[in-house]
Amino acid sequence: MKRLQLQRWSSTVLSPRARTSNKLHQHLYSASLRHQSTVAPLQTESPTQNVIEDASLDLEDPELKLRLDSVHKRKSQLKYPSPPVNAAAESAKLAALHARLYLPSRLPLETLARTLVDVSADPNADFNNESLATLGHDLLTYYTSEHLLATYPRLPLTVIFAAMYAYVGPKTLAAMSKEWGVDVASLPGGEVDPGFLQFKRVEPGTDLSKATKGKGPRPYAEAKNWRKTVTSKIFYDDEFGDPIKGSNEAGAGVPDELARATAVRALMGAIYLHSGRPAAKLFFQQHVLSRSLNISQLFNFSQPARDLTRLCARENFEKPVAKIISETGRLSRHPVFVVGIFSGQDKLGEGAGASLLEARERAALAALKGWYLYSPLNVRVPSSMEEEGAAPWKPAYVDLGEVIS
Amino acid sequence: MATSIIAPKRPFVALPFLLPSWTDALASGSRRYQSSYRRTKQRLRVKPDASFGPSSQTHDHIIHNPPSSAPSVYHTPNKFLPASDVRRAMRTEKPSTTDANALPGVYKTEAERKYHLNPSDIEEIRTLRLADPMIWSRHKLAKRFECSPLFIAMVCEASPEKKQIQKQVLEAVQSRWGPKRRMAREDRQLRREAWGRDE
Amino acid sequence: MPVQGLRTVTSARNGVGAFILQCKRLDFHYCNHGGSSRGMLAFLTQTLPEFARENPQIEVRVAPRHGKHPVIKGQYINGREKAICVRNMEPGEILKKAMILKDASGEKLKRTKKPVTSLNESVRGIWSPYHGDLRGV
Repeated sequence: MKRLQLQRWSSTVLSPRARTSNKLHQHLYSASLRHQSTVAPLQTESPTQNVIEDASLDLEDPELKLRLDSVHKRKSQLKYPSPPVNAAAESAKLAALHARLYLPSRLPLETLARTLVDVSADPNADFNNESLATLGHDLLTYYTSEHLLATYPRLPLTVIFAAMYAYVGPKTLAAMSKEWGVDVASLPGGEVDPGFLQFKRVEPGTDLSKATKGKGPRPYAEAKNWRKTVTSKIFYDDEFGDPIKGSNEAGAGVPDELARATAVRALMGAIYLHSGRPAAKLFFQQHVLSRSLNISQLFNFSQPARDLTRLCARENFEKPVAKIISETGRLSRHPVFVVGIFSGQDKLGEGAGASLLEARERAALAALKGWYLYSPLNVRVPSSMEEEGAAPWKPAYVDLGEVIS
Repeated sequence: MATSIIAPKRPFVALPFLLPSWTDALASGSRRYQSSYRRTKQRLRVKPDASFGPSSQTHDHIIHNPPSSAPSVYHTPNKFLPASDVRRAMRTEKPSTTDANALPGVYKTEAERKYHLNPSDIEEIRTLRLADPMIWSRHKLAKRFECSPLFIAMVCEASPEKKQIQKQVLEAVQSRWGPKRRMAREDRQLRREAWGRDE
Repeated sequence: MPVQGLRTVTSARNGVGAFILQCKRLDFHYCNHGGSSRGMLAFLTQTLPEFARENPQIEVRVAPRHGKHPVIKGQYINGREKAICVRNMEPGEILKKAMILKDASGEKLKRTKKPVTSLNESVRGIWSPYHGDLRGV
């Protein structure tokens, strides 16, 4: 497979303000972009000069000129809702963040600054991180889901949703951005240091569930008593099994958690665009997959014994039978029973409890977890085939599906 | 030596250490003294397991000393491994020392399953239950058709009026509960939910 | 409902995947006239540029504080701050103090009593009296 030259086509996603490296593009665009009111003129011609010439002031005194320059610079900064592109190179915070995350050198500071501008701060799609976040979210959820499905092929769908939420949910991403040391600006604006995350906060007392307009893709979403099956969640809901909400109203604020999560997603998208797939995958492995999660603690069974019976019937195993392995203090105040669940002569699981019923439930639960947490040897994810010189693909283990009762 | 000479001159009750050990335990519970320390220690001194000792084998080998802990859920039982998994062949588990059939069951008697009811019987159960739910309760139907009440519940459902009456009965009973009983029931329910989360 | 998923958040293990340096910012305060700042002034002009170049993860700020002793303050990701007074110190000593602040995690100093602190479960599990080679009584 021929590799794409990312540097070239990634520039179409970035704003003209962010294009600093490509001299040719600057030259081409400089004439046409003048007419756009929302896009700042390029660095070749500074806006302050125009204003000064128009005013036809006396420019003999260099000190006066310097002061005027700074005043005009500040005025031009205040004109925009987010910091201008040339401020990114001067920000020490941004450079420190770039180095702290070991970001690839091909990712310019200007794009890093753009990932920190939320839609609520700058509604202009050329300068906020919405497009990058969409790409980054897709990448994050794709890499996580393929990792989960390849490593634990038998996980039930509800647990996959929970694990996805644990790895790349908004709460985790917000915690990640805090652990990276990303600070939040109190109010967004053109004069703010671009190293701060900029977004408009939600007004206190806003009902977040009602703040959205439009509706999600699920039909009859208003019907309260309708059953929502787990299967329908795959089609209509998002990656975490939550209903998709409509887009936010223009000018509405966003919660801190969501703004932070969007910034992390945008960074992932930016790395992919500037440095390509290997760098993005490495970033994902280092920052998302390296976090610790005990998948066995994500299960919540209501009737494990019944589910286990169904499972054994489906897989043509002998009927599971609960047997007491050992016990102590049956007639005391604190008895302990250790019960094992056997299918034929094979022990499927065991559990200890203060009553026979509790021990049996726990044993059935251990047996079910033993089934669901099966992990094949030498796990490979589909995206590993995109690497150069990858070994031929062997089909991954695919399970029948969860036990439905 | 001195005590043995003096002992006969005194009554036995005054010298408790000369009494047999069971009387001592009855009198003051089992206590450890400086004099009994050595005996207690000797009884506690158990030979360590053979697997801990130095091995007599000369060639390299693996010491298998399985942990005395509950098995991990990440260890898939052999039966649950798919046929294609190589671990199935590699795990040559020694036949377990305990026979599963010899172990006592959790229930005293396993209910025998008869599978003797026809569709016509099931139809009859339904009509009876709908006709007079106050007489034909689940237990009475189960007794008549020689099946379990659970089976009756699987086959048919009570009429809405009966459900409403039953709900009122339950509420009347629960209204007589005091705070202690109510809290105990709630705690029991919470504990039960905690089993499902394996807490 | 056969099985429900419980929502949690993964916990960070700094250094397992990527290592994030916990020191976010170093503030160097000095006085132009005070004698105790003489070493600090030399440090700022000679050593600091190289120090900043070697540690790009740290934002470096230099600010005068007139009539006070020179101080280095470190800001950390966990929101805490550590300050070391470097009055009358030579540039070499000041560099050592800056390195102390750079390497610190920002947490309060604690005595570690256990040899290993880990999120992972122990390989042999938690000891249970009901497992292992049971001996009949």
